[in-house]
Amino acid sequence: MKDIFFDLSVRSVRLNLMRSILASIGIVIGVVAISSMGMLGTNMQLQVKDQLSAGADTIVITADAVRMGPTGSSSSSASTATGITKTQLNKIKLAAGLTSKLVPVYSTNTQFTLASTPGRSTVYGLNPDDITKFLTISNGTNIEGINDALVGATFATNFDLKIGNRIRIGQDTDTSRPVLRIVGILAARGMSSDNVNTDNAIIVSDDWYTNQYGGKDIYRQVNVIVKDINTIPDVKTAIDTKLNTDKKTPVVRISDASSRLSGITSSLSSITTFILAIGGISLLVAATSIFNVMMMSVNERIQEIGILLSIGTEKGEVRRMFLYEAVILGILGAGVGGISSLIIGYSVVSYMIGTTKYFFLPESIMYIPMGMAIGLMVCILSGLYPAWKASNMDPIDALRSE
Amino acid sequence: MIDTPLIRFADVSKVYHLESGDFTSLDHISLDIQDNEFVAIMGPSGSGKSTMMNQLGILDVPTSGELYISGRDMAKITALERTHMRRDTIGYIFQNFYLIPLLSAYENVEYPLILKYKKRDESGKATAMLKAVGFDEAMGAHRPTQLSGGQQQRVAIARALVNDPKILLCDEPTGNLDRKTGFQIMDILCGLHSEGKTVIIVTHDPKIAEYADRIITLEDGRIAA
Repeated sequence: MKDIFFDLSVRSVRLNLMRSILASIGIVIGVVAISSMGMLGTNMQLQVKDQLSAGADTIVITADAVRMGPTGSSSSSASTATGITKTQLNKIKLAAGLTSKLVPVYSTNTQFTLASTPGRSTVYGLNPDDITKFLTISNGTNIEGINDALVGATFATNFDLKIGNRIRIGQDTDTSRPVLRIVGILAARGMSSDNVNTDNAIIVSDDWYTNQYGGKDIYRQVNVIVKDINTIPDVKTAIDTKLNTDKKTPVVRISDASSRLSGITSSLSSITTFILAIGGISLLVAATSIFNVMMMSVNERIQEIGILLSIGTEKGEVRRMFLYEAVILGILGAGVGGISSLIIGYSVVSYMIGTTKYFFLPESIMYIPMGMAIGLMVCILSGLYPAWKASNMDPIDALRSE
Repeated sequence: MIDTPLIRFADVSKVYHLESGDFTSLDHISLDIQDNEFVAIMGPSGSGKSTMMNQLGILDVPTSGELYISGRDMAKITALERTHMRRDTIGYIFQNFYLIPLLSAYENVEYPLILKYKKRDESGKATAMLKAVGFDEAMGAHRPTQLSGGQQQRVAIARALVNDPKILLCDEPTGNLDRKTGFQIMDILCGLHSEGKTVIIVTHDPKIAEYADRIITLEDGRIAA
């Protein structure tokens, strides 16, 4: 389509090229500010989310630590044991449903000796079949024999451990000090929110653990790994109803990572919104300059508008001509802004976050088209009043103006 | 539609409300202009010539009385209909030519066709019209600022004629031209009159007014002669 009003707008922009470019630069800056800030915030969120999401699908059930059972009453199994019992485990299994995976966890602290170096760490007792449900063995194999053990990544690095090394468990003064053989090293987990921090720990089989420390079927915690993270509230409620039958004296404490995670992501997203608002201010400034340029264009062309109107141009056509001008400035600004955002945004993210692996994800890269759309919209909005003013001029007055 | 002449002023008044009080620019004017007349409107400054031209050009409506053009009461049609009448029924020729500065001579002539048909001219009408006023294709590519006054007025005439209007409205068409060029332009207008156009011309110049069949002289908003 060859629209003469579009041609007129293009020529007007070209005639006042410097002025038009300067106004568009405002839009470029606005688009870059919005897109880069938005992408920066999102990349930050994605990174933190990734770091925290180990165990985000997990509900952690522990015995209510405060309550040691009613005083004076004869000690029942539930009240004396500071852990989750076999009966409770079965109830949890029922409440959690078939799609969830259950991981009962034993744990304690211990001293050990490696070569001749003493140390202290957490020991987790896990059913070997459960280990692969939520842990990754980066090196070596899973526990097979009774004296096999796994160690965390940091633990292995700190003690320069290799597969086949042996650890002596217990204090120097102990009479019997069992020896464990390291068969595998776990991948680093970072901050995990399921209360199983393996990076600095020793993992043994549940059989070895109960042999060594006793307390069979009294678990420190039970982790329920759900299939769909959205079902966590339902599963939590189901477990709560099943186990904490007496609301005044709950026997287990049920917690999950998602609430903590959502707290962190929501505060991060408020930060994103805040920096987006700062970017928005620059667009507001840009809007003013576009408005200014459009008003100048209208005021300089009053007589021309008079001619157009007097020889039979419809008001809508005059309006269109000036809106085209705003759109041209907007497309120019948004286009250059979009390309600049890609470059500047990428640099900012890589410098501030240290990684660009989230940069091209839809939730991050979408800030560029979004910023461009907002920039274009700001231009059109800024052009509305000048266009309206031009189309509503009295042709007689307009013609008379010099 | 009633049976009226091409243009009828029926007791038309135009009053401007100014801070210093009301100013009557046209005072109960009644006047008929027939199809294919050549009329000159004369009068001193402030006599109401321009106001009358604005009324004839449908840029304004009377304060009282009725103005009929082609049988239609100008006060009773919508603003959009008035716009379309300006485009289709009237051709304007101004003292200052008033070409659109951002368009070439050719595009200036093509412009009213685009307004009417909402597309670029493919009929060759604009080229033909430019040719009729002595412009070839190369000249048509020039912008108005690159043309002399006489050339600009020729383009303006071609633009005024391109939608084949019934009425040619000329506001001091020779006012900014030298005498020789002025007479050339008047010759073109006379030729258009003989081809059947109704020509209405506002002028100070009695020599120019002599071309007309009828001279209407305005004084203080009234027809003096």
